[in-house]
Amino acid sequence: MDNQDILVDKLLKALIVPGCQPDLRPVHAIGIGLTGSFVASPLARDYCIAEHFRGDRTVDVTVRFSNGAGSAVEHDGWSDVRGMATRFHLADGAATDLIAMTLPAFFTPTPETFLDFLNVATPEPAKPESPWRKFLDLLQLMQPMPDPNPGETVTPIPGAIRYADTHARTQLPVALAAGIGAPVSYARATYEAVHAFRIIGPDGERRWVRFSWRPVAGVLNTDPTKTPVDKYLFQELHDRLAREPARFTLMMMIGEPGDDPTDSSRPWPPHRERVIMGDLTLDKIPEDQVMYCEKLSFNPWLLTDGIEPSDDPILHIRHEAYKTSSERRGGTPCPFARSAPNGK
Amino acid sequence: MANDSGWLARFVDALPESKIFNLLANWILVPYWAWRYPTKKIEGGPRPSTQPSDNIQRMMNLVMKLKDTSPIGRAKAALVLAQHATEIFSGVDDVATVHFARFDIIGDYICMFSVYDGDFSNYIRDFICTIGSFFDGIVALVEDGEQVLPTQTHVEEFIDWVHARDLFQAPDFTTDLFALNDEARGLPPGKVHPLRTLSREFILQLRVNPNLSLGGGYRAYPGFTSAQIRQKTGMGW
Repeated sequence: MDNQDILVDKLLKALIVPGCQPDLRPVHAIGIGLTGSFVASPLARDYCIAEHFRGDRTVDVTVRFSNGAGSAVEHDGWSDVRGMATRFHLADGAATDLIAMTLPAFFTPTPETFLDFLNVATPEPAKPESPWRKFLDLLQLMQPMPDPNPGETVTPIPGAIRYADTHARTQLPVALAAGIGAPVSYARATYEAVHAFRIIGPDGERRWVRFSWRPVAGVLNTDPTKTPVDKYLFQELHDRLAREPARFTLMMMIGEPGDDPTDSSRPWPPHRERVIMGDLTLDKIPEDQVMYCEKLSFNPWLLTDGIEPSDDPILHIRHEAYKTSSERRGGTPCPFARSAPNGK
Repeated sequence: MANDSGWLARFVDALPESKIFNLLANWILVPYWAWRYPTKKIEGGPRPSTQPSDNIQRMMNLVMKLKDTSPIGRAKAALVLAQHATEIFSGVDDVATVHFARFDIIGDYICMFSVYDGDFSNYIRDFICTIGSFFDGIVALVEDGEQVLPTQTHVEEFIDWVHARDLFQAPDFTTDLFALNDEARGLPPGKVHPLRTLSREFILQLRVNPNLSLGGGYRAYPGFTSAQIRQKTGMGW
């Protein structure tokens, strides 16, 4: 194994938490697949030559929504990052993926620091802070640690906060993750593809961009003061799709000089130029979820002509991490549209 | 979330919402921590940046306390605005870098909220040139305003005076407040604070700086100047 393989192996091992199953993903283990279509906006072709942005046809899509945790047990109502992996099915059997999550920034800027983070944010027994400790926090005008959810036996939150206490670049992602809450529906959350990609326009102009999915139904979380419900997100999608499709708008933020395309731990300021790139309509939940969802292997490197990766080291390690994880759980290998970053 | 723990835990969990705790916190805890970590008021207005979109559609949230806060005093301010409406509209058209500007009387304050492109000092200079007599009328009714009157002959003083009354704009990313507070305290950059002390940093800043603008605000057409919008929509300039 070369150094990158060793690092990938360490990362995948560090991600394993109590409740993980070898035949499931190490994170985002619980998910549901949907199918639908994507229609590019009339503007999209002016910015990017990628096939799904040309607007000359409706593009079939497969989407997997997921809870962020690696546990195989559903806890929909717990505060957690959610995932939205989208595969655009292009002509001639080709495809391109867009991997997004409800957290707008990755926890650390590099794989090495992410491994350090995981080693500190190891799940530990979940117990509420003692009343006296909480009182001491209040006397210091500090937020007490959040109580664990009912039935939660282990939690990475204290370790994540300990790491953030000494690593400035992890503070924002951890602060955002700690208060992220639980959506009332997978179709009522915003999902950010945290990596920057370079898109190529019809005139050859290259732009650094970041994509995000915005729910047409609006963003809505559950009431955090109520006892969380363990299972509702799958059924909610079934009920929703029986009434109407779930819809999202694909937004593209255009970076400008000074915006680092290689650091996914730092969002770009919200007032950068934004372009609506298209509309996603999800209208079907395939019955065979294993074939059409769980066995699917998404990969943020599954790109197509007109979209190029950045030098973000987290994006680079995800190529191998997703591939290795897929092999270990027996997933369907994805046909890569371009070669691996290290030439494999 | 429902708490099924003991009475002491439930009591402590309810403390942040209790009047008595908040009273004690405001009288004892906040002054204590303000003494322990002296915090200076962070300057108002947008922070310097070399990035293009940070220098367009910038916000000015000018909050000025009226000398006479009675209904008569507030009516005087409203009448000054009414009497100068034509001058204001004509002048702001001439400035040409303004996306919107409006005046409000909120309690004892007269406020000017606007979104503009470019440098703050030049923006105020343009205003003095175009609607200086209106500003003179308003500033005469505002506390400490007489020191910058007439504005046409106190340009630099007036710019500083406005800047001092422009609201501090909280960072778009909350944890950036650590660095901003440290900078205002004169501390070198790079110190990493315990994450859960972020709430205290906000409390201490708001203690010395009661008004603030939350984040950079939403923009429907980010990245475009007022002149570009006018040109693209065929309105001239």
